[in-house]
Amino acid sequence: MNYQAPVKTTLLELRNLRTEFQTVTGTVKAVDGVSFAIERGERVAVVGESGSGKSAMAMSILRLLTHPGKVAGGEVLLDGRDISKLSEGQLNAIRGRLVGTVFQDPMSSLDPVMRISKQMIEPIMRNLKLNRDEARAEAIKWLGKVGIPEPERRIEAYPFEMSGGMRQRVMIAMALSSRPQLVIADEPTTALDVTIQAQIVEVLKTLTAESGAAMMFITHDLGLVARFAHKVAVMYAGRIVEFGRVEDIFAHPEHPYTQSLLGTIPSTSMLKTERLPQIPGLPPDMRFAITGCAFKERCAAAHDRCFAEAPSLTLRGPDHTAACWAPHGLGEGTTLKAERPNRPNKPFEPDGSVVVELNALWKQFDTSRKMVVKAVNGVNLRVHKGETLGIVGESGCGKSTVARLLLGLEKPTSGDIYIAGVAQMVFQDPASSFNPKMTIGDIVAEPLVVKARGSKSERLEAVRRLISQVGLDPAFAERYPHQLSGGQRQRVAVARALALNPSVVVADEPTSALDVSVRAQIINLLVDLKQELGISFVFISHDLLTVRYIADRIAVMYLGEVVEYGAAEEVFADPRHPYTKALIDAVPVPDPAIESRRTSTPLEGDLPSPLNLPTGCAFASRCPMATDRCRAEKPALPNHDLARQVACHYAH
Amino acid sequence: MADLSLPATPTRKPGLLAAGSAIARHRFLSHPKVRLALVLLVPIILLTIFAPILPIQKPLETNLRAMMQFPSIEHVFGTDKMGRDIFSRTLAGVQVSLLVGFSVAGIALVFGMVLGTLAGFYGGLIDRAIMTVVDIFLAFPSLLLAIGLVSVMGTGMVPVILAISLADVPRFIRLQRSQVLSLRSRAFIDAARTVDASQFWLMSRHIVPNTLAAMLVAASIAAANAILVEASLSFLGLGIMPPQPSLGNIVRDGQTYLEQAWWISTLPGVVILLIAIGLHFLSDGVRELLDPRSR
Repeated sequence: MNYQAPVKTTLLELRNLRTEFQTVTGTVKAVDGVSFAIERGERVAVVGESGSGKSAMAMSILRLLTHPGKVAGGEVLLDGRDISKLSEGQLNAIRGRLVGTVFQDPMSSLDPVMRISKQMIEPIMRNLKLNRDEARAEAIKWLGKVGIPEPERRIEAYPFEMSGGMRQRVMIAMALSSRPQLVIADEPTTALDVTIQAQIVEVLKTLTAESGAAMMFITHDLGLVARFAHKVAVMYAGRIVEFGRVEDIFAHPEHPYTQSLLGTIPSTSMLKTERLPQIPGLPPDMRFAITGCAFKERCAAAHDRCFAEAPSLTLRGPDHTAACWAPHGLGEGTTLKAERPNRPNKPFEPDGSVVVELNALWKQFDTSRKMVVKAVNGVNLRVHKGETLGIVGESGCGKSTVARLLLGLEKPTSGDIYIAGVAQMVFQDPASSFNPKMTIGDIVAEPLVVKARGSKSERLEAVRRLISQVGLDPAFAERYPHQLSGGQRQRVAVARALALNPSVVVADEPTSALDVSVRAQIINLLVDLKQELGISFVFISHDLLTVRYIADRIAVMYLGEVVEYGAAEEVFADPRHPYTKALIDAVPVPDPAIESRRTSTPLEGDLPSPLNLPTGCAFASRCPMATDRCRAEKPALPNHDLARQVACHYAH
Repeated sequence: MADLSLPATPTRKPGLLAAGSAIARHRFLSHPKVRLALVLLVPIILLTIFAPILPIQKPLETNLRAMMQFPSIEHVFGTDKMGRDIFSRTLAGVQVSLLVGFSVAGIALVFGMVLGTLAGFYGGLIDRAIMTVVDIFLAFPSLLLAIGLVSVMGTGMVPVILAISLADVPRFIRLQRSQVLSLRSRAFIDAARTVDASQFWLMSRHIVPNTLAAMLVAASIAAANAILVEASLSFLGLGIMPPQPSLGNIVRDGQTYLEQAWWISTLPGVVILLIAIGLHFLSDGVRELLDPRSR
């Protein structure tokens, strides 16, 4: 017996932590009695939707809450010492030194007018008691470790001279440079593209493993959790509803909320005819006291006891607790049942009628410094009647510009656009896509009013019909946008897009601003409408799993060009362009078994600037198989063929 | 389908606009700063309106038997060297002040909204032409600009209003333009553009209603400022000319007798102060009410 069990020592322990926000409309109990522990060297993911209290909980640990937030009770034991009673001064010695933090937005968490050197060196000097030269060497060493090229030179850069991914690397270097025992990372990759996210996650994973630091990783992305975490804490309405090892949580979730969340994500093997399971309703309003279980209204397994008494965490297996009265949550038999039967298996068959055609489309923007941004470079695409085309790619790849060109919001530099009928759009951000001074009814009616369709009473009738068609009560017509939740607003956006009986609806990231549990509702709605009304869709997203599920065909864009095109499942099952491969590889899949088998290294580097495009293949600068031929000669994509197309010299 | 039902938040009844503005009115009247402003302004405005039927001496009527009298029941603010009733003259002055204040605010609002919207919405040459002129005007200190203009156009109410407006309009244009620029890129403008809404529709339906709030705040500040500038001009002898009373020229008349009859200057001065404070509280309150964080 030479096996030695690792010595488990608790690094951080939260006991009944409570955090409140005093607002005009009442006290929001953002964190309502959270208790759990993190062992040394352990990576714990905290998952939950917006408003679940996950960030408030993390911020409460170091008392970094901003007004009106306040830690209302409980203990925070760091290394056995209760730090919740420490003074600000004593706590400052812990922040940064024992506990490092990485926040979501790399754009705002670095001081824009200070060089990186100044922001990094002084904390290192203070925390590690080093002199300036030693601290500088240390800072450079960490910048190198997080993957910043030429750290000796880049340390003198200002934040604005770096890309978002680079800034997040700097943040990680800063957090780790003081050799903390715990790193708190609050959605550190949410603002980044998938391929960059994959790099950052890899960096965080290796470096914390190397230094033996524990990590609390806050996210709403279950795929990332599977890739990254040892343990998972699932939060809902200010409480932890399930806690356990990552394999257990994904393989045998015990809480209905966890079970539902895992069900709502389209999997890589899911058939298009299956409806996406969805969680009905909305999370509870945290301003009001909750009696019983907070999830009861949305839970299929809820019974009388759930309405009377709030369950607490009980042991469900080794290291696995869940807060539910039902022994196995929804149970095996009652897993998320679709509310409606599956869709008829009706694979898309092009009948030859083309609804949208883009021919050799180019779009360039002039910038102030006499430079030209080449946003769209010779795109040829076709959308047939009843077909859904998914356009995927990272930010800056030109996918949104294609959408704007299609809708006539921008004029192409050259090339032509043919649209049979009307094109309408569903915008990404449900917060800014409505005039706050107009009622929902006026918003949905606007296209009809502008086009002078029908009489006033006919329009009123149409508005009621449209609002019910997207699954809302017609009484919503009299409300204002700010009274609606994000998911409801996105439904209204769909209703507005349908008002003119469009032949094609362009949806630009329609679900990216929504919570996971609401996302499936909107996706199901779009798929249902497509089937019922026979509308074509152009679905633009960086969420590859969703695109695979919803789209018949996929166009992968990179730097303003389509690099691969083909049937959705085919592209997914057998990506041929090296960029498509890297993109699919970078997407975290909510399955720890798949994630742990992953061996490939993430794509390196950032996107080249669209100001100065390479002459050859646009992807050559990041491509693992690039040769001199790629750098000199641009691979072309044949025109308008429904068959698989790949713009690469070496793809077969 | 999910969320078919309405959650239990207050819904609007039919006749929603009435219900909406009733809530708005309640919020407006219960705001502490707005209340303070109304307590200051409403009595002054009512007295001014009803001045002609109040049992007081007419503003221009002299009474040589009652010169420089201390405030009393008969002459609430006392009398001046020609035996004119200061209270009655002050109310007439307030009338001038309010007229100047609201005219200037109105002119600035209309020109600022129109030109600022055009500049911000169209950009390019129109923007550059409007903003060049605006920048030239903004280079002059506003009081000096007004003094210069009045000395060219002559004295009297209309030149004063025009002079002060000319100093305010450029500021309003700038404010409106900056608001329009940030609204122009919002998705709801794009949404309306995808159904080929006319430019007039975009400006009148989507842009102007969303800029109105901030412009009204600016207008109430401008009104307070205009009242002070008018008083200053009249004090300097460049505004409303005696014998027509204005708060500025009453104060000026009285300053020679400050030692013998302090009330001639001081009491109208206090009224100017109260109006200015009232308008500032009003704009401050309106600004807080319109701030979404205050909800």
